Amino acid sequence: MSVASVPFSFSRLSLIAGNTFLEAVRQKLFNFLLLLAVGLVASAQFFREFNFGSSELKFISDFGFGALIFFGSALTIATTAQLFFSEIENRTALTLLAKPLWRAEFVFGKFLGVFAVIGVFCALTIGLMMALLWHREGQLMNIRPEDFANGRLIAYGDLLVVGVLQWLKFGVLAAIVLLIASFSNTNLFTVVTGFFVLVICHLQYLARDAWGNVDNAVLGLVVRALGFIFPNFQLFNLADQIGQGSGVSPVVALQVAGYAVAYIGVIGGLAVYSFRNREI
Amino acid sequence: MSQPVAAISIQGLTKDFSVTLRGVKLRAVDALNLEVAEGQVYGLLGPNGSGKSTTIKIILGLLEATVGEVRVFGVPANQVEARRNVGYLPEAPYFYRYLSGRELVKFYARVCGVSGSRLGTRVDEVIDWVGLSGAADRRVGTYSKGMLQRIGLAQALVHDPKLIVLDEPTAGVDPVGSAEMCELIRKLKQQGKTVLITSHLLAQIEDVCDRVAILDRGKLIVEGSVLELVGQRDRQALIVDPLPEADLEALRGWLASRGHSLNAVEQPRARLDQLFLSKVSRPGRPGGASAGVGSNEVPLDAKP
Repeated sequence: MSVASVPFSFSRLSLIAGNTFLEAVRQKLFNFLLLLAVGLVASAQFFREFNFGSSELKFISDFGFGALIFFGSALTIATTAQLFFSEIENRTALTLLAKPLWRAEFVFGKFLGVFAVIGVFCALTIGLMMALLWHREGQLMNIRPEDFANGRLIAYGDLLVVGVLQWLKFGVLAAIVLLIASFSNTNLFTVVTGFFVLVICHLQYLARDAWGNVDNAVLGLVVRALGFIFPNFQLFNLADQIGQGSGVSPVVALQVAGYAVAYIGVIGGLAVYSFRNREI
Repeated sequence: MSQPVAAISIQGLTKDFSVTLRGVKLRAVDALNLEVAEGQVYGLLGPNGSGKSTTIKIILGLLEATVGEVRVFGVPANQVEARRNVGYLPEAPYFYRYLSGRELVKFYARVCGVSGSRLGTRVDEVIDWVGLSGAADRRVGTYSKGMLQRIGLAQALVHDPKLIVLDEPTAGVDPVGSAEMCELIRKLKQQGKTVLITSHLLAQIEDVCDRVAILDRGKLIVEGSVLELVGQRDRQALIVDPLPEADLEALRGWLASRGHSLNAVEQPRARLDQLFLSKVSRPGRPGGASAGVGSNEVPLDAKP
């Protein structure tokens, strides 16, 4: 019997994403972490005395990015795992997957919903940090106009670029957590493993530097292979370049963005493959 | 002339689950053969762990068969296309609590491809049909169990499927809610829908099903029409006004003279659920099921 096929639909995918976003922003965890991050960024101006020798504006910027990275990572791992397992444990996935819906639409819809939530988090945190910097820089321009003879010192466009790259990094992390969730049985296992992978992704460059050029060919190959399997999150830390006068190179930013998109695509594909065979 | 395609065709279905890391298997469904014709209300009965829900999940493509083949209107059940014509109400349904009833049904309608001007009309139709018009704008988190079942039925029907699968639709619902659900199932049958129900509340199944299959430990034990299975064709019951003892004796003698016997004299009894329904007033739900079920005649024949 011939039956019209059900093509992959971006409309269904956006429905799942929209619903995931709605569910996330109604969760206390999201609001709690958002408040913490925003509070921390806002409080940066009260820690001016603890600037450890760097300029005051640089300190506010570093403090803001620190809050973004720390709470953003926690939010990404916890929210991705929670939103995935809430569908499984509450059995809403049963009702949804009994509809003419591809599992790929479900997985990528979940991903896009989480990615949008993290996007809101990043936009609010970076937006607040930029507003604080703008405000404080304006004050300093009045106090010490000689330091600002050539206009404002902060490259706000670069801050925005680094914020977007951090968002993409969280996207890679969300895809990794989804991949773990696609075969894991519990939320807790997913969260714990997600944090382990986060640490590995941040530190894998150390292993590469230490072991990548060893004489043992097999060991070198293993280290290089692990370097490909786990994305290098250090590549996304371009915030330091902002204060060094060189700014963020657009070419480097585009390469890092491409690196993130490629990893999201591949890891997302693996998550779909794994989830396709999962018994609901 | 080609034979009509069965709504559900199950051939040699076996499903094993791995229960240990060593690969020890648990057989949930064992060599099951079943055919559900279009337009039937079919009851899948059995105790807990008999394989009913596993069979349903395979029909819905949520699980893969270990061996055998399952088709829905001729399409292999593991294909997404098979689910175009299927609506599903899970056991003890749980929905997104933060959505209103209307938003929930609209969400599932859009997932099923209902769109444009049809979307709003269709959502209103099914909500009205299940008797939840008055509560459609309330959050699902505030719904009672019976209301959850009815909004669940609305989402199952919103894309006008030909087959509706109801997993324990009356579990945990009070007798009034159960009676309303049975009434809705009868109406679906009148509209030509095929309905597959699982339940262990046998009296309710008996009232609404055309055919039933009983599973035990994954195996098919009995299958047939309700009348065939529970009717006693070699006996008849006559219900008469109360007879004095002398008349009863005379009747016995008359029957004996014709080679028959009077096997039992009993007082007919109403079923307890019927008594309950006659005594308990139905809640005056705004747009409630009593109104929705009894008087609402909106046909569910629209196409998405």
